[in-house]
Amino acid sequence: MKKRVLAILLALVLVLALAACSNGGSSDSGSSGGKTAITIFNSKMEIQSQMEEMAKKYSEAKGVDVEVYYSSDTVAAHLSTRYASNDPYTISMVDAKDVYSLAKEHAIDLSDQDWVKDTTQAIAIDGKTYGFPVCVEARGIIYNADAIKKATGADFDPTTVKTTADLKAIAEKCGTGVMKEDWSLAAHYLAEVYEQHDDPDAFIAGIKDGSIKLADDQKFNALMDTFDVLKENNYAKDAAISAEREVTEQKLAEGEIGFMFGGNWDWSVINAYDYSKNMGIMPVPNDMNDGSSEKLVGGGSKYFFIDSSDNTSDAQRQAAKDFLNWLVSDAEGQDFIVNQCALVPAYSNITLDVKDPLGASVKKYADANALIPNYNYLPDDHYAKCGAIFQKYLAGEIDRAAFAEQVTDYWKTAEVGAH
Amino acid sequence: MKQNKLSYKIQQYLLFGGPGTALFLAVVIVPFIYGLYLTLTSWDGVSAVKPFVGFQNFVEAFSDGDYWAAMGRTVIYSIFAVVFINILAFGLAYLVTQGIKGQNFFRAGFFVPNLIGGIVLGYVWKFVFNRAFVAIFNSTSLLSTTEGAMFCLILVSVWQYAGYMMLIYVAGFMSVSKDVEEASRIDGCTSAQAMKNVTIPLMRSSFVQCIFLSITRCFVVYDVNLSLTNGEPFKSSTMAAMHVYNQAFTYKNYGLGQSEAVILFLVCAIVGVTQVLIGKRGEVEA
Repeated sequence: MKKRVLAILLALVLVLALAACSNGGSSDSGSSGGKTAITIFNSKMEIQSQMEEMAKKYSEAKGVDVEVYYSSDTVAAHLSTRYASNDPYTISMVDAKDVYSLAKEHAIDLSDQDWVKDTTQAIAIDGKTYGFPVCVEARGIIYNADAIKKATGADFDPTTVKTTADLKAIAEKCGTGVMKEDWSLAAHYLAEVYEQHDDPDAFIAGIKDGSIKLADDQKFNALMDTFDVLKENNYAKDAAISAEREVTEQKLAEGEIGFMFGGNWDWSVINAYDYSKNMGIMPVPNDMNDGSSEKLVGGGSKYFFIDSSDNTSDAQRQAAKDFLNWLVSDAEGQDFIVNQCALVPAYSNITLDVKDPLGASVKKYADANALIPNYNYLPDDHYAKCGAIFQKYLAGEIDRAAFAEQVTDYWKTAEVGAH
Repeated sequence: MKQNKLSYKIQQYLLFGGPGTALFLAVVIVPFIYGLYLTLTSWDGVSAVKPFVGFQNFVEAFSDGDYWAAMGRTVIYSIFAVVFINILAFGLAYLVTQGIKGQNFFRAGFFVPNLIGGIVLGYVWKFVFNRAFVAIFNSTSLLSTTEGAMFCLILVSVWQYAGYMMLIYVAGFMSVSKDVEEASRIDGCTSAQAMKNVTIPLMRSSFVQCIFLSITRCFVVYDVNLSLTNGEPFKSSTMAAMHVYNQAFTYKNYGLGQSEAVILFLVCAIVGVTQVLIGKRGEVEA
């Protein structure tokens, strides 16, 4: 009898232990061994090892436990699971659009922080600064000057490429590559069509209500003409849709092709190969003559925000703010951003030289104030749905008219994000 | 202590079934019911508020063309995959129960693909289709066309599951007593007739199991879909489960995605259960 009672008790204890796990998980994560512990979510895969290294050093030097996490999931999807389990990161690195959708509920106001005055890229909503820009990123056409010189026999000067015809003349000799990824096509290239309009909001509203015909839009056609040049001279023209990004970037790095549409983040892929030194980013040339052929499109990219929920203690929030200040104002923090992560800083008080050639190009344009701002309010499904349409165009399954029509159809039901 | 008293029975149940029941409730039943509740909200997956919208999500789910296109593809994929998985698995099982030399080695070999996770398997085959085959046959990649991507998905799934189903068929073959087969041969059956009239009817439960398992797995395929094609080209190889995931997490329509998941569950359950009921009806015992 005794044994039986004991066994039942044991079973109940097991069940209780399980139940206890469900609410005991997050309460003790605030501190360990008396030290404040903060967690950072990193969504830039290419700097994960640097982040971990930095966290280790920072933890030792400042007496704050810093843990860095990475997930290859969609940023919003990953964070939502953390919110659902009441276990948010102290600091989360997200894309600009996520700041707009998350900040009001999940982020604290950072307007009083010292770094706000040193950047033009911070994200403020209703006058309150929520997003700390991690770096500046910009899009354009990446060129390999050595490859172009080999193909044309002349030194390549990116500033001479002003029109689609200029690009075509060179591209026909040196070849190009096109990334077939939906985010590259829709979120980056198609987005330029919106962004290069003076008022992207009005332009999109015009497409939605039918007052603007995308197929007749000059900017759309000018940029698509340029895209056609890239598409026609694509090294993988016959199988554009199965060309892998790594292969394309390798060919660019090693000089088999001369041009590829991309951004300075592509450096993390290119530098894995035997790249040539003379690379850079130039604007996407087009025949509009509106100055857009002299500007890259870009701005702040990846933003840190600090969690505002009860799951994070005030001590953790203070530690998080200190960390952000350290990144901007401390020599080591600056060195971390610019030299170790090879990012283009978004802060005017950081004067270190950017080492990688693509970043250096971006910094040159950023310093010259020649950046067309990102349009950060595209709907979440824009890149996937318009990306699929763009892929059909790239594969030659539909023509430009059908492409414009399907994108217009998409916009009929899509809503831009609140801002 | 009397063994038929209710309190005794409850005690015994808690003792043996208690932990399992609690776990099952915690990780299956409760999330399932909570998930049903979420279908009635327009939650975006992140926000703290979950606005109640009634059956609006189901109305939207029924008019979501992309979803039904993905569902149609899933049905076609499942039909082909289920048929080929079972034919191949049965054939393999037959071969490795005939006493050929090294048959245990072959059994293990055919089973191995099932031990590799779907994600890894997808990447491995992606490399084969995109690089190896392209280099060998000097052609464009199969994955770059709509039909080709679908073909690849079916091929990889068949390769993955055939070994697993083979094990169940092997067990089925072993369970059929040699006596009855021999008896039929003495009565004048050819070996094909013995197979058709004696062995297969006696193995019916293996068929029911294998077909049920392969149907339910194919309907909710996600991992191979994600790593092999990721919906490409042009989202034309997106299966229902992947569409549900995108809808809920990427497009941030959690409520809608959840309703679509419930519909997928119902379709899958109806097909699976019908199949089992029909299959069980004719089951015979030796």
